[in-house]
Amino acid sequence: MSLFSQILQYAISGLTGGSIYAVLGICWSVVYLITKVLNFTTGEFVMLGGMLTWGFHGAGLGLLPASLLAVAATIAIAVVMERTAIRSVRQPSEMVYMMLTIALASILKGIILLKWGSETRKIEPMFGNAPIQVLGATLTPQVIVVITFLIIVTAGLSWFLNVTLFGKALRASAVNPTGAKLMGIDISRFRLFCFGLAGGLGALTGIVTAPITFTGYEIGLLNGLKGLVAAIVGGWTIIGTVLAALALGLLEGFCAGFISASLKDVFSLLVMVIFLVLSTYRLGFRRKVP
Amino acid sequence: MKPVAQFPLPFMVFALVVFLLPLVVSGSYVVGVMCFVALYGALALGKGVLLEQAGIFSLAHPTWFGLGAYVTGIAAVKGLPPLMAILLAAGFVALMAFALGAPLLRLKGYYLACATFSLMLIIEIVIANLGSLTGGHDGLMGIPPLSIGGLALEGDRPFYFLSWGLCLGTYWFLNNLMQSRMGRAILSFNDSETASRCLGINVAAYKLRLFIITAILASLAGSLFCFWIRYIMPALFGFPLLVELITMIIIGGGKTLYGPLLGSLVVMWLREGIHTYLGKVLPVMTAEVDALFFGIIIVVILILMPGGLAGWLERLRPAGRGARARTNLS
Repeated sequence: MSLFSQILQYAISGLTGGSIYAVLGICWSVVYLITKVLNFTTGEFVMLGGMLTWGFHGAGLGLLPASLLAVAATIAIAVVMERTAIRSVRQPSEMVYMMLTIALASILKGIILLKWGSETRKIEPMFGNAPIQVLGATLTPQVIVVITFLIIVTAGLSWFLNVTLFGKALRASAVNPTGAKLMGIDISRFRLFCFGLAGGLGALTGIVTAPITFTGYEIGLLNGLKGLVAAIVGGWTIIGTVLAALALGLLEGFCAGFISASLKDVFSLLVMVIFLVLSTYRLGFRRKVP
Repeated sequence: MKPVAQFPLPFMVFALVVFLLPLVVSGSYVVGVMCFVALYGALALGKGVLLEQAGIFSLAHPTWFGLGAYVTGIAAVKGLPPLMAILLAAGFVALMAFALGAPLLRLKGYYLACATFSLMLIIEIVIANLGSLTGGHDGLMGIPPLSIGGLALEGDRPFYFLSWGLCLGTYWFLNNLMQSRMGRAILSFNDSETASRCLGINVAAYKLRLFIITAILASLAGSLFCFWIRYIMPALFGFPLLVELITMIIIGGGKTLYGPLLGSLVVMWLREGIHTYLGKVLPVMTAEVDALFFGIIIVVILILMPGGLAGWLERLRPAGRGARARTNLS
């Protein structure tokens, strides 16, 4: 294998990972911008999507009905969670929201662990397993599915937010909730919608990636956190998040290939820490002196 | 103003009960669990002050606990006397907290939480991958017993007194700290950072100092923890421990100083209850399963009883008396 095809191979696996983080980053920012809740269950939605599909498929359903049922179930869980737990907190603050979602994440994780154990599971790929050769590197059809999925989600959401009335109202309530309320926009319905959207997209991500990366009760935390890295570095916008996520995926791919596979998580988390710290310095630099 | 020694009456009663408990109870089970209550309690007390009194949203507490335990364990395995190992660990953790805290504490709110959360995971992964030094995922084994000046401390009772000594000492220290000049500064910048800066309070310096102090306290608890169970592994200091600490603070009520200790008492006995009564029913019994139950408790308490146990106790206290000890109860 020549160096070029090796680099290409790492880039492909990096871009696959990056696509996952991109969709997850969008899930984080959709919820964060509308509700100001940093939703730590985002990663668990991915886990739920994969594990529920595996579970329904194992119970005798076909792959497609099982996937649809899993997505529907995850959306239902996300919506119920928002309605029952997050909205009924008495003294809301950033700290309370964060503790609450961390607690909800560990509840979801614990239930799946109790139900299906700690083994990693695999879902059958949708379009066969025949590897495709590209310039000396190999990729499976599922990789193409993942990247197509990212493109569809990005394009679809951009269209939805910029063209439809509902999407415009959503953007307005992210910019100024009080103003949006005064214009007759029902914010509480949007909060519900955002959680449902995050749940659905997360579950789809989990289903699409499960044939490549496998799924298990514990995959949510790190995947979700890397989505958050992408969302923060990308400045909570869709296009920024996607670019940051792809860069993060490439960084991870090359780190895993050339340095160490077990330390790749360290590098991507370090990106967030370093970016956050540097951003405080940049803001200090820009502050106008009265 | 220098911190003055203060021994409030409920504190003395509690200390007396704790001191008399091993003399009354026979067998090592209760004493053993109470050791965990003390060590996790000491940890939760520090985190409670950081989170609720100072409003510094740092989630890296399991890291300081784990680093303290690991440095102590490694030094002790390499043959250093245990007391030296504990001091070495505290010094190392203080240095780390200084080096990492100085840049990280520039962040606020969610961003600080995200950065410290990542830090916790990073250090857990790094420890798990330094196989030759730390034993990797399998953990560090062969830690010698704690001995002070040739006198080996083994068994439950000496450890019971040692860990409760640390726990009550931590409480006493933090109680005095919160009534000193620094404590008043901490309360003021929690309310409004801008206002306290206008009053000439060096907010960044106080934040960093408090961060380092609580890190050292966590490291001491970690050192004792490492000598108490004499086997440590990276999974002990990760996400499940964070959920446990948050549960303690929320059950106990973080607005008071003693709340997290109450929380530790409840959470540890609850865990024992879960393991005893549900251990046969449930297929697996790991820290993640505990986290499931703790998660449910967190959600219920945040919705139904946001003040926690301490908030409920404070309502029983007659108004006026002891108002000074009631730090920042809103």
